[in-house]
Amino acid sequence: MGLDRRGFVKLVVGGVAGTLFTPVIWQGLDDASIWSQNWGWIPRVPKGEVKAASALSKLCPAGCAVKVKTVGGQPFAVTGNTENPMSKGGVCPVCAGGAQLMYSPARVKSPMKKVGEGKYEAIKWEDAEAMLVEKLTPLKGQDGKIAAISGDETGTANEVLSAMLAGLGSTGYYVMPGEMFTASKGVKLMGGNGQPGFDIEGADLVLMIGADALDSWGATVANQKAFAATRPTGAEATAQFVYAGPVLNSTASVCDKFLAVPPTATTAFSLALANALITAGAVSSASDFGDYKALAAKYTAEVFEKATGLKAEVLKDLAAKIKAAKAPLVIAGASFGQGAGALDFVAGASLNVLLGRVGQKGGMTLLPAAPKAIASATDRENAKDAASFLASVATGKATPGALLIYEANPAYALPQAGDMAKAMGNIGFKVSFSTYMDETAALADLILPAPHPYERFDDAMNPYGVSKPTYLAGKPVVAKPVMDCKDPVDVLLAAAGKLGLSLGFDTYADVIKAKAKAVGADFDALANGGIWNGEPKGGSLSLGAAALAKAPAAKADDKAVALAPVSKLAYGTGSLATPPANLLVVRDTELLGKDLLVQMNAATAKKLGVASGNKVKLSAGTGEVKALVHVNEGVAADTVAMLLGFGRSAWDEFTKGKGDNVYKILTVSDEAGTGLKVWAGSTVTVAKI
Amino acid sequence: MDRALFPDGVERCSFGKFALWMAFITAFFLFGLYAMIVIFAKGIVVTGLDNYFGFGLWITFDLAVIALGAGAFFTGFLKYILKIDQLKNIINLTVIVGFICYSGAMLVLTMDIGQPIRAWFGYWHPNVHSMLTEVIFCITCYCLVLVIEYVPLILEQKQLNKIPFLHHLAHNMHVNMALFAGIGAFLSTFHQGSLGGMYGVLIGRPYAFRDGFFIWPWTFFLFVLSAVGCGPIFTVLVCTFMEKLTGRKLVDYKTKALMGKIAGTMLTVYIFFKILDTWAWANNYLPSVGMTFDQMFYGVIYGKWLMFTEIILCGLVPAIMLITPSIRNNPTLLYTAGILDCIGITLNRYLFTVQAIAIPVLPFDNWQTYAPNWAEWATSGMIVAYGFLVMSLSYRYLPVFPQERAMNK
Amino acid sequence: MSGHAVKEFNITWGMVIDLDKCTGCGACMTACQVENNIAPMVDASNKLRTLSWMLVFEMSNKKAAPEAEIAYLPRPCMQCGNPACVPVCPVVATDKNEEGGIVSQIYPRCIGCRYCMAACPYHARYFNWEDPIFPKGMEKALSPNTSARPRGVVEKCNFCHTRLMKAKDKARQEGGNPEALADGAYMPACAEVCPTGAITFGDLKNPEHKVHELAKGENAFRLLEKLGLAPQVYYVSKREWVRKLGDNYAATGKAGAEKKHS
Repeated sequence: MGLDRRGFVKLVVGGVAGTLFTPVIWQGLDDASIWSQNWGWIPRVPKGEVKAASALSKLCPAGCAVKVKTVGGQPFAVTGNTENPMSKGGVCPVCAGGAQLMYSPARVKSPMKKVGEGKYEAIKWEDAEAMLVEKLTPLKGQDGKIAAISGDETGTANEVLSAMLAGLGSTGYYVMPGEMFTASKGVKLMGGNGQPGFDIEGADLVLMIGADALDSWGATVANQKAFAATRPTGAEATAQFVYAGPVLNSTASVCDKFLAVPPTATTAFSLALANALITAGAVSSASDFGDYKALAAKYTAEVFEKATGLKAEVLKDLAAKIKAAKAPLVIAGASFGQGAGALDFVAGASLNVLLGRVGQKGGMTLLPAAPKAIASATDRENAKDAASFLASVATGKATPGALLIYEANPAYALPQAGDMAKAMGNIGFKVSFSTYMDETAALADLILPAPHPYERFDDAMNPYGVSKPTYLAGKPVVAKPVMDCKDPVDVLLAAAGKLGLSLGFDTYADVIKAKAKAVGADFDALANGGIWNGEPKGGSLSLGAAALAKAPAAKADDKAVALAPVSKLAYGTGSLATPPANLLVVRDTELLGKDLLVQMNAATAKKLGVASGNKVKLSAGTGEVKALVHVNEGVAADTVAMLLGFGRSAWDEFTKGKGDNVYKILTVSDEAGTGLKVWAGSTVTVAKI
Repeated sequence: MDRALFPDGVERCSFGKFALWMAFITAFFLFGLYAMIVIFAKGIVVTGLDNYFGFGLWITFDLAVIALGAGAFFTGFLKYILKIDQLKNIINLTVIVGFICYSGAMLVLTMDIGQPIRAWFGYWHPNVHSMLTEVIFCITCYCLVLVIEYVPLILEQKQLNKIPFLHHLAHNMHVNMALFAGIGAFLSTFHQGSLGGMYGVLIGRPYAFRDGFFIWPWTFFLFVLSAVGCGPIFTVLVCTFMEKLTGRKLVDYKTKALMGKIAGTMLTVYIFFKILDTWAWANNYLPSVGMTFDQMFYGVIYGKWLMFTEIILCGLVPAIMLITPSIRNNPTLLYTAGILDCIGITLNRYLFTVQAIAIPVLPFDNWQTYAPNWAEWATSGMIVAYGFLVMSLSYRYLPVFPQERAMNK
Repeated sequence: MSGHAVKEFNITWGMVIDLDKCTGCGACMTACQVENNIAPMVDASNKLRTLSWMLVFEMSNKKAAPEAEIAYLPRPCMQCGNPACVPVCPVVATDKNEEGGIVSQIYPRCIGCRYCMAACPYHARYFNWEDPIFPKGMEKALSPNTSARPRGVVEKCNFCHTRLMKAKDKARQEGGNPEALADGAYMPACAEVCPTGAITFGDLKNPEHKVHELAKGENAFRLLEKLGLAPQVYYVSKREWVRKLGDNYAATGKAGAEKKHS
């Protein structure tokens, strides 16, 4: 068969035309594009009416006043509440992912009973509650046999817990460490009583000694809004902010001045500053001014330089700035929110007294004790410290038969955490009321899952740091919790009833409503995003000279290096491991793969004989942690800084086994004259491995 | 065993030996195929690519083989349009090399894009401003041209050629070959250029960005020149490799030297402009965006030694060697120059693909480094293996080399 | 060589980010992930594979203590007036063709070639290396505002574009002008949650919006000004070292960039 040119052309053209005209190709392409855009395993977004419900988001210690956005009733996002002065539209990074946390893989799904080492069995609520009553009944009426640890600083649940314990004949109500606890003790040492407050909004110079007020200390969002109000973009700042602490942290990064003060030297810093101010003419009408002046005089420029590694010039400048300010405010606190002891607080707070800033606008205030909903509840200022308690359980001094743990994680978040977890093994029956499977729940005999903040009623009375009495309350955003959980207070009230104790309420909601009434607040307004404020009380404070006289002189130990634990709110807290959505915020100079990085400046690294990237072991007491070195010029002299919140041994794949738990290497000692434990001046030995 | 399939008048090795050879190559092919399946199943997450290195080994490989495969269009242009008849001795080989390079590159690209099923969107939703749209159009069309150029060669297989329809089809295609060569040259010039243009338009990447002529940055022209400066000699290297492997003479040295002269001449022109371009870029462009020449380099992996190797040892040196007759006519030196030439062009493609995006442009950003992982190497190896398979079959059964019969009496 | 010019619109959505107020808390990053249905990543420390449409960089003045200073810089997509990414996309999956100037990213169109990622010097574009994996149950808490993306497509910040659509709808329903939204009627998630209010958002061309004046401030600057990409995100800092880290200043070049404003 011949194929001439004409034939060839016909063949080609016919072939092309035929190919183009068959629907197979076009239909195939159309189908292909539709398939590639609609794979079945890619989640579809929800449809429905979008609403915003007010809520009290207690995922962070202070609690954020938020609006939870819902689509078809299902929460999906959290924004601030522009109408609420605690928020002004802002949200902390943890609460920003609050809706997603309702589905955290670490959530406890139902009541669990321990059936073996690390083994749990899901049980029904009626059986769980029966077990609770059964275990507590034989311990009734014996002081020291039933104990409770609370991790919630602000909720009225504490009244129920402490009243229940009191009703069962026990004084064993303990709280997890925090600023509120030590500061109240400090105020007592200054001849006053009540929770201190700090009016950042009204100050024109804020000196934060340790207190990480713009990230993890106090009512963080309110603090940040107050800070922001003083420096409108593109205009002159109306207040100065100075941070004195061991690490150039988030707070220090936006302050006008950062002073690197090693964690062992904050008291010396405060008293040296007092000396400088007195030298520049400051006089106080407090009764112990004479003693205070003599004490401060011991903190000369040389002592200051030796203790802090800073130049005396720096102190002079700061004193001059403070003197020139019309409304200076000093906020003293531990740089990681706990463990600095009362004397450290007194040293810093005394500066406010010296400057006459107590009870003034833009100064330090004192909050009156809030009215109670349950009369027999322990007053907040009489709470006892959980770390000391577990330490005495470890030594056998205390022998409780049952421990109720309410929304706290003592097995992880107490200093010498390894020992604390072991101590809990000495207690026969442990109940953990927890939303998440945390390290403490993993050791408990009975886990009673608590609802997530958007699934329950809760309240917050005087979050630490607020300048005037403040009360917030919230109601659930969703009708039914995601997991099979029950409000812990409801469970406790029911159990109390079965134990023959009537506290006068059936549910936590009733307790809160009663609290609101006692306080003089409108519960419905609060539950819709409102706030109740009162007036701070008057009263003066002394300079705390008598207590301060007992403060040890700053020791200069050339061999050991100071440990500055760092708290960054976005990375979680002791009781909340880094939420999955916040893990992205952790920098690769802080956590890399499974390794935590220890920060130190170049001079310290040289002294320790290590370089960036080296693997090291840090040990103190019976604990040790492993980390990689990262050189960071924002760390004070002879100090190593490490993030708290990692090294989880429970929770979920997002946080389990990543990094190490720095609480393990915090060493505890007794504070002179106050009966408190301190661990903010921990030292560690660093060795290359 | 398959003697009947051999081209007329030539010897081939035993079928057993051939089968062994093919099995050996197929092993590499299958390993790469496994990697390819993993990639289609799990996604590009299994490779060493990341957010800073969206382009890596695959793109470097693609650009390199496309440049090395430029022998096809350029030889076609010279033979069919400029009528340099001597090239008929090697033109079939250039077509097969071109076909392998382009079809291989397209196979790699199906893995390299995240949504292969949407690959045709480049036609359906073209972006007239994008160099990559131009590349998609041209390389797919040119691949089709190469198929059209390869098909007659297949149809001339001894047994197939006996079928009258196929014989006449092949004949007619041959008659019209000049048309296809012309189309091929046109398409190739544009996509070789556009591949360079892709980098030259990156206003956010100072290493790659260039000014230019009308819509074409200087890299457009540099990439075309470098492609034709190495394509022809790459074909010569392939031919020589085949001769060494089979023990048979396939193309006479005169033709090889001519290909060397062609490549050398174009390479010389290229190097001249390349040096000028690099000078202008380092002295005028970089300071205008506040960067220095030194900032473009980092450590050993992205060091200056790479640029100097590319331009001098693997650019200027082979160019001089290839345009100097006394050097060119020495086989060892010709092949050495060819190898240096091809390495140089490959280096050029690598530097523009990878180093360009390794450089932190934001002053507070950091250098990142990239290393391909097993999945990328295996799949690239699969294409090389594919090439060996196609070439082996073509050599064994198709009349690729017009001079073979005469040269092996 | 032609081909690059700033596209002008009547409305130009932009940001002014005050770097003297950003504490690096990360609320913006978290809110962005939540709003845009970005699945949580187990190894989020591998920053070369994470999806962070909004990313907070840490800048340092590289001095030893006690002069050491740091600053935090939140980086969304710059929505460039002269984008590097738009002209290079082979399939027009990204375009700057809508009033307001937001650079779009169309997931069903993207073929995942990553050419746009190579083009962007701000690294604002991210690739879905795998299909999104949400912890079991968490897909119930997805935001209705952004479709979930499959693997193999590029994604980036789009100034929470769905919120713009909703704000315009609201304006229409309330009898307002959708082409003249009030300051604050439309705010992306990051600007909305920032506890220090470091991020101000609005129409740079509208004198009634705060960003209009703030972007012209004497301490305002844009990143990589010299490349000519005309970003719609401005930064402000009183600290000179922070402003100088916003662009490249070759040792042989002039000290201090020319200020360019839109």
